[in-house]
Amino acid sequence: MENRFTVLNVPETPEFRQKFKIVVTVLLIIFSLLLIRLWYLQIIKVQEMREKSESNAIRYRKIQSLRGVITDRNGDILADNLPSFDVVYMPGIAKNHEQLIQRLQILYNRKNLEIDLSQQFGKTMRPYLPVKLEKNVGMEKVAVVEANSVNLPGLYIDVSPVRLYPKKEMTASLLGYIGEVGKDDLENGESEYSLGDITGKYGVEKVLDPYLRGRSGAELVEVNVHEKQMQNLGRIEAVPGYNTVLTIDTRLQEAAWLGLNGKAGAVVALDPRDGAILAMVSAPSFDPHLFNAGISAEQWKNLLNNPLSPMTNRVVSGQYPPGSTYKLIVAAAALEEGIITPQTKLFCDGTFTMGNRTFRCWKKHGHGQIELHRAIVESCDVYFYNVGKMLGVDKIAKYANLFGLGKETGINFPNEKSGLIPTQQWKLERLKQPWHPGETISLAIGQGYNLLTPLQLANAYASFANGGTVWQPHLIKRVETAEGRIIKKFEPVKTATIPLSKKTFELLRSALWGVVNEQGGTGRAAMVPNADVCGKTGTAQVVGLPQDPKARRLKKISAFHEDHALFVCFAPRDNPEIVIAIVAENAGHGGAVAAPIARKMMEIYFNIQESDIRPQVANTAETGR
Amino acid sequence: MLFLKFDRSNLHNFDWTLLAIVLSICAIGILNIYSAGYSYDALERQSPFYIKQIQWILLGLIAMIITFSIDYRFLAKGAYVIYCIAIALLILVHIFGYTMHGSQRWLSIGGLAFQPSEVMKLSIILVLARYFEDHKSNQPYKLRELIVPALLIMLPFLLILKQPDLGTALIIVLISASIIFFIGVNWKSFLIASSGALLSAPIVWHFLKDYQKDRLIIFFNPERDPLGAGYHIIQSMIAVGSGGLWGKGFLNGTQTQLKFLPEQQTDFVFSVFAEEWGFTGGFVLIILFMSLVFWSLKIALHARDLSGTVIAFGIVCLFSWQVFINIGMVLGVLPVVGIPLPFLSYGGSAMLSFMAAIGLLMNINAHRFILHR
Repeated sequence: MENRFTVLNVPETPEFRQKFKIVVTVLLIIFSLLLIRLWYLQIIKVQEMREKSESNAIRYRKIQSLRGVITDRNGDILADNLPSFDVVYMPGIAKNHEQLIQRLQILYNRKNLEIDLSQQFGKTMRPYLPVKLEKNVGMEKVAVVEANSVNLPGLYIDVSPVRLYPKKEMTASLLGYIGEVGKDDLENGESEYSLGDITGKYGVEKVLDPYLRGRSGAELVEVNVHEKQMQNLGRIEAVPGYNTVLTIDTRLQEAAWLGLNGKAGAVVALDPRDGAILAMVSAPSFDPHLFNAGISAEQWKNLLNNPLSPMTNRVVSGQYPPGSTYKLIVAAAALEEGIITPQTKLFCDGTFTMGNRTFRCWKKHGHGQIELHRAIVESCDVYFYNVGKMLGVDKIAKYANLFGLGKETGINFPNEKSGLIPTQQWKLERLKQPWHPGETISLAIGQGYNLLTPLQLANAYASFANGGTVWQPHLIKRVETAEGRIIKKFEPVKTATIPLSKKTFELLRSALWGVVNEQGGTGRAAMVPNADVCGKTGTAQVVGLPQDPKARRLKKISAFHEDHALFVCFAPRDNPEIVIAIVAENAGHGGAVAAPIARKMMEIYFNIQESDIRPQVANTAETGR
Repeated sequence: MLFLKFDRSNLHNFDWTLLAIVLSICAIGILNIYSAGYSYDALERQSPFYIKQIQWILLGLIAMIITFSIDYRFLAKGAYVIYCIAIALLILVHIFGYTMHGSQRWLSIGGLAFQPSEVMKLSIILVLARYFEDHKSNQPYKLRELIVPALLIMLPFLLILKQPDLGTALIIVLISASIIFFIGVNWKSFLIASSGALLSAPIVWHFLKDYQKDRLIIFFNPERDPLGAGYHIIQSMIAVGSGGLWGKGFLNGTQTQLKFLPEQQTDFVFSVFAEEWGFTGGFVLIILFMSLVFWSLKIALHARDLSGTVIAFGIVCLFSWQVFINIGMVLGVLPVVGIPLPFLSYGGSAMLSFMAAIGLLMNINAHRFILHR
C-alpha cells in the first residue's frame, strides 16, 4: 500500500533526504546550544544567580538598639534616650515632588519655619526607599507635618532614638559623646560592630560602650523592583543596652561647673576611702547634642582647633605644674628623710639666693623665722627652697612616686596622661643635660619640669588623707539591667601603700588644717563650719614652662600669661570622706580663685546651709575673684 | 473544487500528535502567563492576560481548522493574492496603524489590535513555495532566477523595518533565506547576493530615522543601554539561573513576582517559566519545541509535492528561528530583539498566525497520500 504512494511522492529523492539530514543536524545543534546554556545558568551558575536574586529582593534593615541610661550615684539621669523626629519622604507615594515641597514650604512659612532643602531628589528607580528630608526637627515642624498629612502624601514623621544629656556641657567631657562607628573601628578587628552602628567615641560612653550599646536587631524584608516592602521575612528584636550607675554626684558636679564660672580649668572630687570619683568637670566643654544630627565638618573643625581644647578632659589629660600644692610631698620627704623636724626653724627674708640666681617668696618682705607648720599654713616659699636644696631632686621624686605621681592613676578613661616627675637621670636621658642644683629649688615649690594631672593631684592628697592607701580612681559603680539586676559591680582597687610614719601624717594633716582654718592661712576661703576642711593652695606660674609645647604656644597670647590657680583639699580632717582638686587656668591665686569653689562643693557635700557661713569667709571669697 | 475536498480520509489522517504537542505548549503558556500576571499585591491580582490568552488560543484553533480545511495547493495557487493582501495591510499600517511603545505595528479591526506583519510571515512562505513550485529545477538556483524571490522578500522586509519592528523583519529574512538555501542555491550566486545585501545596508541605513538608528545600535551593542536592554538581560539571566534544577515553584519566582523581570507576558515568558520550574521545566519545554520542529520537519519530508515541502519547511524555520532567537535572548547569548516565543508569549496576532501554520502543517500531512488527479 505505502509504496504506491511514496513512489509518487515527487521531492523524495536521495539528494533531498541528504538535505534533510543537514537540516536535522543544524536543528540538533541549535537546540543543544539552548540546553547547554540553560544547564550552565541553572546548574553551574545557580549559586551566584540565587545570591543576586536575593540581593535584588531581600533587604536587611538594621534596628538600632536603645543605649543604656547613665545615672549618677543618686539615680539622677546623666544620659538618656530621646526620640528624634525626622521628616521622611517616600517618592513612590508622593508622585509630585515639586508640588509637595511647595506645599510644605507654604505650611512652614505660616509658622515662620525654614525648610532645609539640602536633600537632592531625582528620578529614582526605587520610589519606595524612604529619604530623610529633615533630621531631628522640632515639635513645631512635627505638628505641621502631622496635622497636614492628608495634603502631604508621601511625607511622614519617622522616630528614631537620639542621645540626651540633661546636664549638657557640664558632663560632656566626662560622659563623652557617641557617633556612628568609623571605618577605622571596623578595620581594627572590632567584629562586634558593623557599619551604621552607634558607638561611644569618648569618655564614659566609650569606656562602657560594650555594656551600653546593647545589640542591634534586624529586619529581613522582601521588596519589589520599586523598593516597596512586600513582606516581612523575619525579625530579630534589638536588645537594649545595660544601664550604668556612676560614682558621680550630680550636685557636686554642678557646683564645680558653676564654680569655674566660664574659666578654663578642671575640678575633680573623689572619695579617699575607695577612689570613687564624685565630680569630674573640665571647662570649656562642648555641646554633646551636636553629634546627634551628625556634626558638620565645620563644627568639628572649630571644636578641634579651638585653642582652649574643649574636647579635652583636663582632669585626666591636662598636665599642670602643681605649684605650692606640691609642698605636701616635699615636706613629707623632708620629715621622713630626717632633714627637718617639726621644730626646725628657717629664716625667710623674702629671697633665697643660689649662685647668681635669686628666688623669691610670694611674700615680698618674708616670713621671718618660720617652722614647718606655719611654712605650710602661710605657704612660705623660702622655707621650702631650703628644704628642697637639702633634699635634692631625686629624693623629692622618690616620695612623689610613692604618692602615685609620675604615672597614670589607672582610671579607666581615654587619654589619661602620666604627668612628669623629673629626676637627674630623666634630664640626662631626655634632654641630654646634667641637672642644675638651681632647678631643685623651684621644684620644691612645684615649679619646673614637674607636671601633674588634676586627677593625680587629687589622688595623691586622697592617699595622704586616708592614711597612706593609694586607690585606683574609678567612675563606675555598677552596670545593671533595666529591671535593676546587677551585671557587673566595680570594686575599688588598691594600687599601693605610702610608707610614711604616723607622726608625719599627723603633723602634715594639722598643717593642712591650718591652711584653711588658722589665722594667716592661704586657704581660708575654703573654710566650712563644722567640716574641718584641710587643704593646700597653689599658684602655678605659666611663664617658664618650656617643656609643655601647648603651654609654649599659648605663651604668645598675653591672657595666657596669668598664673594657674590651684587648690586641693579634703574633709573632714579625721576620717576624710571627700577630696577636691581644682585648677583654674590663668585665673590668679589659688587661695582667692580656686578655694571658694572647693568651699561651695564642701558645703553641698556636707549639706550646710548658706546662712551658716560666716560673712567674713564669704567676703574673702568675693574679694578673691 | 479542490478546497471542498474535506472528506473522511482527511479526518482519518488528522495529525493528533501535532495537536497534542501544540496544546501542551499552550497549556504551559496559560499557566505561565497566569503566574506573570499574578502579584502579591491584592489589588493587582487576577490580571486578565491569561483569560485573553485562552481566548486567543480558541480563536487560533479556529484559524487552524480553516487552514487545515482549505487544500494547501489551493492556498499555494492563491499565494500571490494572499501576498498582495498582506502587503496592502502593511501599507495600511503605515497610514492608519496605531503606535505603541514608539512603533507603528497594529491595525485596529473591530476593536481588536491586529498585526499584519504576522500575516506576512505565512504569506512569504506561501509565495516562495508557489514560486519554486513554478520554477522547479534540478540544478542549484542562479542569481538571475533569484531576483524575483529577492524582491518578494525585500518589499515586506523594508515595510516592517520601517514600523519599526526589527525582530519580525529579521524573521522574514531568516525564514526566506533558509528556504532558498534549502531549495539549493549556486554558491557564486549566494556570494554575489550576500555582498549585494551588505552593500545595500548603508543605503537602508540612510533611510532610517535617528531613533531607529539608535535602536539598531543598541540591538548590536546592548552595553550602550545598561539601564534598558542590558538591565533586562541581567534580570532575565538572574531569573533563569536562580531557578536552579527544580525551580522556585509556581507563583514563587521572586524575579517575576517582584517585577524585577521586564516584559514578563511577552518577550521574557521563558524566564518566568525557567525561574519557577527550573532546569527540569525548561528542559521539558525545549524538548516540546524540539518535538514540534522535528515533527514538522517529518511532514516536510513526506509532503506530496514541492510546494508542500517548502511550506512545511518554511514553518519549521519559522518555529526554529523564533524559539532560538527568543530563548537565546533571554538566556543572554543573543542580543535583545522583540520576538515572541511561539504559543507561550502573550499576543493575539502571533497566536493566530502560529495556529494557522499548524493548520497548514496538518493540511500538508493529511494530503500526503492523495494522488494527483
